[in-house]
This record gives sequence, structure tokens and C-alpha cells, in this order.
Amino acid sequence: MPMKTSAPQFDTQILSRISTLKMTAMNLVEGLLTGQHRSRHKGASVEFAEYKDYSPGDEIRHIDWKVVGKTDKYHVKQFEQSTNLKCTILLDASGSMAYQSPLKEQHPKMEYARTLVAALSYLLLKQFDAVGLTLFNDKVVEHIPPRSKASHYQQILHSLANISPQGTTRIDDVLGGLAGRLRGRSMFILVSDFFVQNQNLRKNLKLLCSRGFEVILFHVLHPDEIRLPFEGDIIFESLEDDPAMELDPKDINAEYQKMVQEHINSFQQDCNGLGVDYVFLDTSESMEQALIYYLLKRKSLVKL
Amino acid sequence: MNLNFFSPLFLYGLLGISAPVLIHFLIRRKQKRIRFSAVYLLAQSQKRSARNPRPNRLLLLLARCLAVALFSLALADPFFSFRSSEAFLSSSPAAVVFILDDSYSMEAQADERTLFDHALEFIFEEIKQAPEKSEYSLVLASSPARVEQDWTSDKTIFEKMLQAQSVSFRTTRIGDAIGQSIKLLDSAGQEKKKILLLTDLDKNGWREEAFSEISHFPFYPIRVVDFSRLQSKGNDGMVKSVQASQEFLTRSRLLRVNAKVRNFSNVLSRRALSLFLEGKIVKEEFLDIPPGQTLTHEFSYPLRKNQPLKGKVQVSNDALMIDNSRHFSFHPSQNLKVMVVDGDPKTISHQSESFYLERALNPFSVSLSHIDPTISTLAELPLRNLSDFSVVILANIRELAPGYELELEEFVLNGGALLFGMGDQVNPKYFNERLGNLLPVKLDSQYQVRKGEPSLHLSLENNAHPVMKIFSHKEIDEMREINFYSTYTIQPREDKKFKVGTWFSNQNPAVVESNVGKGIVVLFLSSLDRDWNDFSIQPTFLPWVQRWTQYSARGLDNISRQNLLVGEPFRQSASGPDSNWIIRSPDGSLYVLGNEEEIFSETFQPGTYHLFSAPSVGTSSAAKKTPVKIPDGAESAGTFTVNVDIQESEPGKIFQKEIASFLAGMKIEIQEPRSSTATPQTDDGVPLATFLFLMVAGMFLAEGWMVRKE
Repeated sequence: MPMKTSAPQFDTQILSRISTLKMTAMNLVEGLLTGQHRSRHKGASVEFAEYKDYSPGDEIRHIDWKVVGKTDKYHVKQFEQSTNLKCTILLDASGSMAYQSPLKEQHPKMEYARTLVAALSYLLLKQFDAVGLTLFNDKVVEHIPPRSKASHYQQILHSLANISPQGTTRIDDVLGGLAGRLRGRSMFILVSDFFVQNQNLRKNLKLLCSRGFEVILFHVLHPDEIRLPFEGDIIFESLEDDPAMELDPKDINAEYQKMVQEHINSFQQDCNGLGVDYVFLDTSESMEQALIYYLLKRKSLVKL
Repeated sequence: MNLNFFSPLFLYGLLGISAPVLIHFLIRRKQKRIRFSAVYLLAQSQKRSARNPRPNRLLLLLARCLAVALFSLALADPFFSFRSSEAFLSSSPAAVVFILDDSYSMEAQADERTLFDHALEFIFEEIKQAPEKSEYSLVLASSPARVEQDWTSDKTIFEKMLQAQSVSFRTTRIGDAIGQSIKLLDSAGQEKKKILLLTDLDKNGWREEAFSEISHFPFYPIRVVDFSRLQSKGNDGMVKSVQASQEFLTRSRLLRVNAKVRNFSNVLSRRALSLFLEGKIVKEEFLDIPPGQTLTHEFSYPLRKNQPLKGKVQVSNDALMIDNSRHFSFHPSQNLKVMVVDGDPKTISHQSESFYLERALNPFSVSLSHIDPTISTLAELPLRNLSDFSVVILANIRELAPGYELELEEFVLNGGALLFGMGDQVNPKYFNERLGNLLPVKLDSQYQVRKGEPSLHLSLENNAHPVMKIFSHKEIDEMREINFYSTYTIQPREDKKFKVGTWFSNQNPAVVESNVGKGIVVLFLSSLDRDWNDFSIQPTFLPWVQRWTQYSARGLDNISRQNLLVGEPFRQSASGPDSNWIIRSPDGSLYVLGNEEEIFSETFQPGTYHLFSAPSVGTSSAAKKTPVKIPDGAESAGTFTVNVDIQESEPGKIFQKEIASFLAGMKIEIQEPRSSTATPQTDDGVPLATFLFLMVAGMFLAEGWMVRKE
């Protein structure tokens, strides 16, 4: 269902959607973190690195008085910065993300992606990391810079609720632009169906990696897009700008599935080669897998 | 180039193409629209996919349609000709002779109309489409073939003339009609000349001798339209013949009608056979007639009145009604009062002529006999009233009372019959001098067989006299054995007509007859007792005398004229100066035969014709030729029947090859009435049926391959 592009802030539907999104994301994340990961939140953000000689200007509260007592020299504790990770989530808001199956009651692809982004944002904010959101199609539609304040979550949710997928996908341009703008240690989470033609995604990913950005690709596909389960004479109208096609899916089903698989494999191989994390998500499957993957990744990132 | 079909009806099979098309559309799934994200991947998949489904399905449909179309085309037996195909009545004006078969076989039913109606409609259509300035003429092909309409270019006149046409009761004469058509075309001024023959191809109408009489066969195109294809059902049978008789010399008055019924069909036919008398059905029987066989059935019907009867035998209906009934007329033996004048009565009865004649004329001596003889002597003769008798037999008389010959003349002139028998009392001088107005011949001399010479016999070979008709071969042989020892020889009188009924073996006449006025005079040139022959004691003497008596009393007229066929002339002896013959046809029309006319040719309707003898009305004006009513004073003189010629009913059809052989040199096309294209001769092009059947097989193979691939 396409969403209204100029929905007012007080739109009850949007408010309801935000509330639902928030609840879903929180439940998902809280459930996931209960037990094994909760301890990681405590004091994990500050870690001792080395001592240095006191020099004027250093904060007095950072002087290690035990060392002063033993050595009569002023040493200041230095801590490695491990908190305040800046994560920018890039969500594909092109027309192809609006796919909704005509066959049965399944969540639309965008709903899945929206929930995923909300959950990741919540998770990141919960860990005191800064989270930003960029919606794009052939250009950046909306950009929320990364922040770590808890109230920032509401802004992200609002933006997610207001997404109206349309237009074609041009990830190349978007990634290129972002790579130029962002500085410091950042993480990119790219959520898309990656239905792009003849675009040099690999090159741009390589650019991001070379600048020290951590990149995770969440490849979200609807089961219909993987298996093409339709029957009969069907006119396929493109959600983007491709010309319509009239065919019997049965005739090309095998070839299509093969091509989709090649498409997925191609991304996976490219990502492996670049050291980019790639997560394939079937919207019919649980979202937990994606979050677990993220947490594992985050854990390994913190240890570095 | 020209594509024709031998069986164009199979072209309706092309409608079968709709079946695969219908199936295609019925099983075609409803088209849905789906908004999809990866349409470009679908396109790439389709490009890479080896299967190309939509064209295949359309090709499959095409293959099936083609297979059906080719199959019906093959059944229609197409024929490819390199000769140009031109509409028969083409765009340019032409002279066209329409030969219309109006024989009675065209009366056969096709749908609710007759073949003849269809043929007329066909001509109307052709005329309608014909270009202006075309010329038309019409030749009717029933016997005798005749030009009904000479050349005209006025469509209105021609159409009015066509509307007046109706099917006749005659047989077909295609050969004569074509001969007349060729003559017409020879005289036509148009450059293009054509013949359109509309017929049922009844084989009876195509007689080789008629075609052999045609002097030349110019290269006029002739198109034969075969209307027999329209016939909804077959002509299953007919009444082949009917014979009505009354047993000779029986005391019963029982009419026996002997009917032969033929079954043309291939199955056992149970059909109702009815006997009609005077327009009313009197008997009906059901007959089981084996296929292709003729069954004889005899009706018996008691005659209550001794009057002439007309009737018919009718078999139940089939496609052709006309041949289902056959008419007959019957004259029961009349009650004849006969006076026998014995010129030489003897005291010993069996030596008198009257003895033999009385027993021959009324053998049972009962009142039931139809002949009532009265015996008289010469002396009693003037006392008798001659008008009480139909026949007077003068046996062996010497002379009549003075002046009595005048009474006899009046008697004969008014219709009486006078029979003379010879004998030793006969005075030739008296006969020749006083009875000259009655006798057509002069008595010459008595011929006697000398001793040692063979006796004379009757010469009865090929004797077609009506009197002799009932005698069987055995009886004829018996009669030929009869010995005659003495006869009179004769000499013809000038300006007197007479016929010799029977001859002696020495080439002398035995029986001479002559019409005098309304009556008849018969001369038997031997004796009617045993004096000059032994005829009178032979079994055949009795029927012979009775037959001559009946014949001379005009009682046998109908016997000879029962079997006329439609168109055959009716012959009647000239009526004489004071009277005319009037004939009433079955539809009530009256015709007068002139005094000298002996032939009536208007026998074109089947049924019973009545003959009347009327006082002379003269024949000067046409009105008198066809009177409105029978004039006063006319007397019925008998009936005769006319029936259709059964040859026309025979179901055999002429074949194309036979037509081609009859009309060698002419360009012949045979066409079905509902098809616009004609069937050309087989040596005119290339048959395509086999090729098409092979293509059908190929199409089915291709279809199977595609289905398997699908």
C-alpha cells in the first residue's frame, strides 16, 4: 500500500504506525537482549588504554592518585573511545520496496524493512550509539544525521512511518555522496532489495571500506520475488520504470529462480571479497536472525 | 487458374475451424495484472528461456485450425485447373439457352418444394445476375423437346414466361433439347453462346440415338445443373402396370384388377396399395415388397352395375407422387340383344346355323348372360323391330324381303351392327346388287377345296385384331388347325373402305369389316355351321363369335386403348360426315375431332378420357374445336386411359463420363444447384485431395510435437 507523501504529523494512521513500529522493535530487541547480552551494556563504553604524564590542561579527575602515591609522579589515565559509534542506516525507499504479494496475507516488503530498521535503531540507541537514517531511491529522499539521544529514536520512527516508496533505485549515487560527507568512525547498514541494473555497487562499497567504514548489507526479498509462484497469463507491471510484460510465469519460472539465485550469489561474493557483511533476509522468515547477526558483528567490532 | 470441388458440401466442414478456436478461448486463463518489483529480471529470464510459450500456443491453435480446414478441403475433393474460371453468365452479354427438364421426375420433392421449383428459381437467379443485353431462350426438355421461348433480351418477358411453366407428365428428351438448343445458338447474334441445362440427370432422358441425330457439336460451353442432389428422399416405388378384366364367360360379375408394384429401395418396403373406383377408395391392402422387386397383387371387386368404370390403383406416397398411381377404365360386357336370322333353317336342329350361333352366344341359356340372342327366320324378319337389337346376324340368307335392305341400311347407319355368314343359300347376285350400300366388297365366287387338296385354315400369325386379343397361343394354334372346305372369294368395291380382320391360308380374306355410318358390317366368308367347315364344333368358336358380336357392337373399344402413355396419340376411326368425336380429358377440357381426323394428340395428362359421339358441329372455327360443353345428343362411345411412362421413374442416373461421350467436343461442366462453382471434367486439371490428406497428416504430427513440447 503506497503511503502518503505529505502526511501531516498528527495523522492518526502514522501515529498508530509509529506506535506499532516502536512496540514491535522494542519487543524484538528486548527479547533478544534478555540474559546473554544485557551485561555488555554496563561500562562497556569506557575502557583503559594507557598512562600519560600529566600536562596542564588534562582533567584533574583523570589523575590516577594511586600511581601518584607510589611513584610521586602525576600520571593521567587514558581511555580508548569505544562508545558513540556512528551508524547510518540506509533504507531503500524506491518503488520496488513497495512490493506486496497478491497471493496471501503476507507483510509487505517495506513493512519488513521498516521494522528491521526500527529494531536496529532501537538496538543501537540502547547501546548508546549514534544512529542516523537515510532514505533513498534515485537520490537521498530524507537524511537524519546520527545521534545517540534516546529521543532521537522518535524522529527515526516518524521518518520510517512516513516512507512512501517510489522512484527507481540508484544506490551508487547515494553511497558515493554519503562516503564523501561522513567522517570518523562510522558504520553503514544498507537495507535494500538491490534490484538495480547495471550499477557499479561493488565499486562504491569498496570505496566505503577503504575509508574505514563498516558496512553491513541487509538484502531483503519477498518470497514471491525469489520463487515467482504465480500462475496463468499475467501482465507484470513494474513498480519502478520497467516496461510491463505479459507472460505465463510457469514458462520462465526455472530461469527466473536461477537468475535470482545468481543475483544473490553475486552480491554475496562481492561482499565477501570486500569484507562487507552480507545478510540475506526472506521476509517470510523471522527478523531475529538479522538482529543476532548484527549483535555478533557489533560484539566483534567492540573487541577490536 | 481455377479451383473447383467435386463435393463442395464438405466445405461446410470449414466451420469446424471454430472448434479449436472456441476451445482455445474457453481454456484460456483470465489475464491478471500484478505490480511486481523485478520486472527487468523477468525480461532477462524470458530472453534466456529456451521456451517461448505464447507463440507456441498460437502455433498450436493455428496447426489445429489448419488441420481441420485441410481435412474438410480434402473431403470436398478439390480440383485445380489451369483454365480460367469465369462466371457462367459472365459480365459480358451472352446468348444463353436454358434447357429446362420439365419431365415428371422433376416433380420429386426437395424440402417442401419440387426439383422443378428449384430449377425455376435457379433460372430466375441467373437471369437476375445476367448482364444487360444478354439474350435468353427456353427449351423444354420433356418429350417432345420444344422451344418454348425464342430469343429475347427482355428479362420481364422471359420471367413471365418462366412463371407460366409447370412440370409435365412426360418423359425426358435431353438429346432432342440439346439439338434444338444448338440450332438456336447457331442462329444467335451474340458472340458468347452458352447452354444451361437444368435437370435431374434421369438416365431415361439421355438416349444415344437422340444424340446421334445431332448434326454437329460446336464448342458451346454447356453447364449441367444436377438438381437430383437436392432430393430429400428417394423415389421408393411405383405402380408399374394395372390390368382390369372380367373373367370370360363366367356368370359372376367380378372385376379383377391386376396391379404390379415395384420397390426401388434397398429395403423391404411395406406399402399401402389402394383401389379407387369412380374416385372413391374401395379396397386397400398392405404389401411387403422385397427390395428391388416387383410384386403382383390382384384386387377383386363385385360389379353391381353393368356400367363402364374408371379407376386407379395407388401406392402410398414417396418423394415422387406421379408414378404412385395408375389409371384404368373398364367396360363390363354389355347386355347385347342379338337377332340371329337363319336363312336355311332345318328340321334337324344341329344342321342349322341358328343352332350353333344360339349356343355360342348364350351357352347357359340364362338371363345372366350378357348376350341375349333371338332366333328368327327370314319370313319373320319384317315383323321384328330392328331398333330393339344391337347386332343382327344374317346367316346363310338367300334374299331379303323386297325393300328390307333399306331398313337394314338405316339400322347400320344409326349404329347397328350387321354380321353376315355365308352358306350354300347365299345368292351373290342379290348381295352384290341390292346390298351394295352395306357391303364394301362384292362376292365373287364360291371357292371349294377339291378332293385330295389340303383344306384351308385361318392365317392367324401376328393377328393384332382386338377380337383375337384374348386368345392364348394354344387357342390360336387350335384355331389354325380348323379345316375350311369352302369359302367365298371377294372383290373390293370402288370408293369403299374395308379392313380384313382375318385371312385364310390361301391369302383370301376370311373376315371383312367396314364402318358404315355409326354402325359396322362384318362379313364372314365361310359358313357359321358345319356345312363349309368344322369351326362351329370347335371350343374356340364360342368365344370367337362372342368377341365378334361384342366388337361389332362397339363393346371392345376400350380394350384396345387402355394402355396409352402420356403423349401417345389416341386413334379413332373417322366419325363419318354427320357426326364428330368429342373427347373429354381428365381435367374436363373438351376437344372435337374433325370428320376426317382419326388422331387425338393432346394426351398429356394421365387419367381417364371420355369419348363421345356427337352430331356434326363443323370444325370451321376454333370455338367449335374446343367446345365449352358436350353438345346435346352426344352419346358416350367409351373411355380410354392415359398413364405416365414408367421409364421416367427408374432411379438410374446418367454419369458424367456418359454425358461427355454423348457431347463429345462440347465444354461440359456439372454443377450442384447450391454451389456457385461447377465441377469440371476430371481430365481438366489436377486433383488435390491426396496432397491435402498428406498435409493433414503433417499438421497432426506438428500438433502432436507441439503438445508434447508444451
